[in-house]
Amino acid sequence: MKKAKLKPIILAGVFLLGAVGLILYIVSLFYGLFFILAAVALYFLYRWLSTDKETVIVEIRKFLKNLTIPVIGISAAIVIGAIIMLISGYDPIKAYRALLYGGFVKNWHISILNATPLIFTGLSVAFAFKAGLFNIGAEGQYYVGAMVATFLGIYLGMPPIFTIPIIFLMSGLVAAAYNYFPALLKVKTGAHEVITTMMFAHIARYLSSVFIRWMGGDSAGTHPYVTNPILDANWLPRFKGLFPDTNYRLHTGILIGIAVAIFVNYILTKTKFGYEIRAVGHNPQAARAQGISIGKNIFRALLFAGFLAGLAGVNQVLGLDHKLFENLSAGYGWNGIAVALLAANNPIGVIFTAILWGALDAGGQYMARTVQISNSIVEIIKGIILFLIVARYIYSWVGNRIKRRKQLASEGAK
Amino acid sequence: MGGFFSIFNEDLLVATIRLSTPITLAAVGATVCERAGIVNIAMEGIMIIGAFFAVVVAYYTGNPWLGLLGGVVAGALFSMIHAVATITFHLDHVVSGAVLNILSFGVVRYLMVIIYGHPGTTEPIAKGLAEYKFAVPLLSKIPVIGPAFFNQTPIVYLSFLTVIFFLIFLKKTKTGLHVRAAGEHPLALETIGVSVVKMRYLAVLVSGITSGLAGAYLSIENSVSFTEGMSNGRGFIALAANISGGWTAIGSWLASLFFGFADALQIRFQIFKVLPIPAEFFIIFPYVATVLVVAGLVRRSRPPKAVGMDFMIEREED
Amino acid sequence: MLKGFKTLVFILVVLLISTGMVFAGGAQEEAAGEGFIAAMATDVGGLGDKSFNDGSYQGLLDAQSDFGIEARVVESKQQTDYVPNLMGLAEDGAEVVFAVGFLMADAMIEAAQNAPDACFAGIDIWVDPSTAPDNVLGILFKEQESGYLAGVVAGLLTKQYASASTKLNDDNVVGMVLGMDIPPVERFQAGFYAGVKSVNPDCEVLSVVTGSFVDQAKGKEAALAMIEQGADFIFQIAGLTGIGAINAARESGILAIGVDVDQSGVAPATVLTSAVKGITSATYLTIKAVLDGEFVGGDNKVFGINEGATGLAPFHNFDSMVPAEVKAALEKAIADLKSGKIVAPATRAEAGYEG
Repeated sequence: MKKAKLKPIILAGVFLLGAVGLILYIVSLFYGLFFILAAVALYFLYRWLSTDKETVIVEIRKFLKNLTIPVIGISAAIVIGAIIMLISGYDPIKAYRALLYGGFVKNWHISILNATPLIFTGLSVAFAFKAGLFNIGAEGQYYVGAMVATFLGIYLGMPPIFTIPIIFLMSGLVAAAYNYFPALLKVKTGAHEVITTMMFAHIARYLSSVFIRWMGGDSAGTHPYVTNPILDANWLPRFKGLFPDTNYRLHTGILIGIAVAIFVNYILTKTKFGYEIRAVGHNPQAARAQGISIGKNIFRALLFAGFLAGLAGVNQVLGLDHKLFENLSAGYGWNGIAVALLAANNPIGVIFTAILWGALDAGGQYMARTVQISNSIVEIIKGIILFLIVARYIYSWVGNRIKRRKQLASEGAK
Repeated sequence: MGGFFSIFNEDLLVATIRLSTPITLAAVGATVCERAGIVNIAMEGIMIIGAFFAVVVAYYTGNPWLGLLGGVVAGALFSMIHAVATITFHLDHVVSGAVLNILSFGVVRYLMVIIYGHPGTTEPIAKGLAEYKFAVPLLSKIPVIGPAFFNQTPIVYLSFLTVIFFLIFLKKTKTGLHVRAAGEHPLALETIGVSVVKMRYLAVLVSGITSGLAGAYLSIENSVSFTEGMSNGRGFIALAANISGGWTAIGSWLASLFFGFADALQIRFQIFKVLPIPAEFFIIFPYVATVLVVAGLVRRSRPPKAVGMDFMIEREED
Repeated sequence: MLKGFKTLVFILVVLLISTGMVFAGGAQEEAAGEGFIAAMATDVGGLGDKSFNDGSYQGLLDAQSDFGIEARVVESKQQTDYVPNLMGLAEDGAEVVFAVGFLMADAMIEAAQNAPDACFAGIDIWVDPSTAPDNVLGILFKEQESGYLAGVVAGLLTKQYASASTKLNDDNVVGMVLGMDIPPVERFQAGFYAGVKSVNPDCEVLSVVTGSFVDQAKGKEAALAMIEQGADFIFQIAGLTGIGAINAARESGILAIGVDVDQSGVAPATVLTSAVKGITSATYLTIKAVLDGEFVGGDNKVFGINEGATGLAPFHNFDSMVPAEVKAALEKAIADLKSGKIVAPATRAEAGYEG
């Protein structure tokens, strides 16, 4: 009885400590980290109370086991990166400090800004993957979403409480509609979505140039290859109140991104829709045997993926740029693929991997600027880190070997 | 300057071949790779690596043939990272490919600053492979197709040979059969005593070599210098060409040719301003055409059964 | 739950390691330099574009060797980098910060408002004089003038003086290879068209948009397609894509005209001249103005032929080949542009070009 009462309190404490710690850390107070650690400790206490001692010990073991692989991976990446920098005559310690300081402390708001569109595109790719589809053309749906958002943002003059949801919804829907053709072709003719969505991505990219000129500002000497700005009322609100003395352009898009990620997670795990998507992705034959229509779910998955990628475009236009640029190499669609796969297609995981990705970008810029180091080193280190983060596969490889050997041994004994 | 219909001449066909050669090479590599069960989206990065090292070697040795070799070897080595990651360490094929693409651009830019002192474009090499253009006697005199197929530069001929070789290899040879089995029924292959892992390594190596060759084509044959990002998405187009070609060498080639043809045509449409619309509408023509053709043609093709699947996991499930 | 948990664990590790490292060295202090610092932030194209990014950087380096200042550069990777890069450079102590490329227009204004002590100059950026802060300067170029002069030379040589070189044919056709259809490119294009037509009204002026600034193969193919139609001049306005176009001209034995900087070095026997855009000198002069305390902001400065920022590069190897009449016509066109007797069109619409 007493235990049951205690449990929600402890759980609330975990979240409170975690949230406080995170906020403290984000506003560059390092002891926020201790709060997070305390939250973790409390969580185990909670587990102890709700189950028994042995389970908790097993869990802590698992926790530590999970810990070893990332630690080894990241350390190895850091060492390899350091060797590269030493060879080329840079001070690796200075460089790393700049990378981390820039990405997580000084320019943390840029990391978040970078991460926000990646959350959407990452979710888009992850969702399609759950249905066994590869939405390689998220970049194209991003452009479509951005174009529609710009158009509506310029012409929709109503109170923002109406317009912003309308713009998000409409742009997402049009981006989803853009994926209708690949979905239709996939279902009707079997045309592979990798071809069709990629071709559609190229098409959207070039169409955006035409769109920009069409919506372009006055051509009298200004830069007409940018569209007119959207109405001020249609801007996503910024966190001005939270950080009054700063000039952060941080906008509320990140909250929408997190909310959408949670929503997608809910859909995938808790609804029939999500169940069917996963069933089709996991084993189409079995799904069909259960009476789940494969074609219908391909449609749903690709359309929803298009919707999500379109939101990334809306987020950039309403939140950050307030107009559409001739966007030479945003690459949000491509990076979204990596973000999704790093998170093992888990919607909640996408939030974190997107932030990590964004932080590496922002920190890399800071490092390039302060240490006057070439940007390309950042790219290399990013690549190595990513490779070694997935070192958990190496672990499972070793694990499998041992398991198999045991299996063989037991079979031999029989 | 002639009338609009003057564009339908031998030169259009020659241009088609020129534009499609890098895509053809990579697409055939993709075919072999996917037939063995490995998805390789790193071809874009391998192309860049191949193109860069081809120029570096040709620049310092003064010999474009060594450059060719350099590009192929660099592409092959770089592809081995993909092989180790996906086959030995069971990393997701797409993750590995995506990461390798990122890595390749960083590595090339970094090395370029070290070797040439600046990013962007390298200094031109003294002699490109284009100077070794030669006509096959008699055959090059055939009207229409002669100049396109039999009066070409070395890597273009190599691309034809690659197509023919892998067409025969996949269909007629025992090793080819084993490669295909690695992508269709890996377990069955293992039971007859052939290593799936070996076959898959071999297939990735093939895609590395052909993509490296495609890169070398771009940098030391079609041009005489390397430019960052010069592959410009051709590795991905090759992936699409392989799929539209129904995972066969000849199909990949035809699909690549089609894309090259549409691109060559698009440029000529622009010259003649066939329609008073923005140039971008012409530029997207090859992409639209590809979608339409894919929608119309590839009804029956299907991917190899075990493509993208991890072999170890499969065995455990069985 | 477990998967999310794993990711959480992973993030925790990242945080731990990062704090460890930051702690180990204490808070990073800003790398404030000594002496005069001139800095620039590239747009997403980055260094190595043989165009505005490289040109500005060269101006910085020239100023470094002449005035003993310190030059700094940072390459932006995405749009979100612009503001922190520009502001960061100012915070690091740069007296003058160059924002390079029209994509950075808004970012430059924002950075300038937050860093009022530094001067900001935007290459290819137009600022609104009525609202711009006093510490920003927009630097623009009359690319159309360079294009116009190149057009005069090409228009005369392609037909009337085609006997001057074996590389010229009898067809009255010239071609342009464009990268992406953006404002500076269009200004070159419109100027070139007007220049050709001013001396050779019957000339066919072709152009192809490749859609990329880095795709050599595309540039080559576009050039070859025009050469096939009889073009004996290829004017490349395509950045690195244009290297392929020049290469096509070299292989086909015709002439090419380079862009932005003197590109004779790319193919000395092919590049007749280049339509230059004096980004380097504009950058250099701006740094000098700041050093001398003569920087005037809040407005735009348009560099044209009278400022010595636009024009043609020397003919180099071709100097003896170009007929005196062509040179005279070129001199006259230069004089007319300088005096304002001729105004080169800045857009296709002004030039009456449908391309």
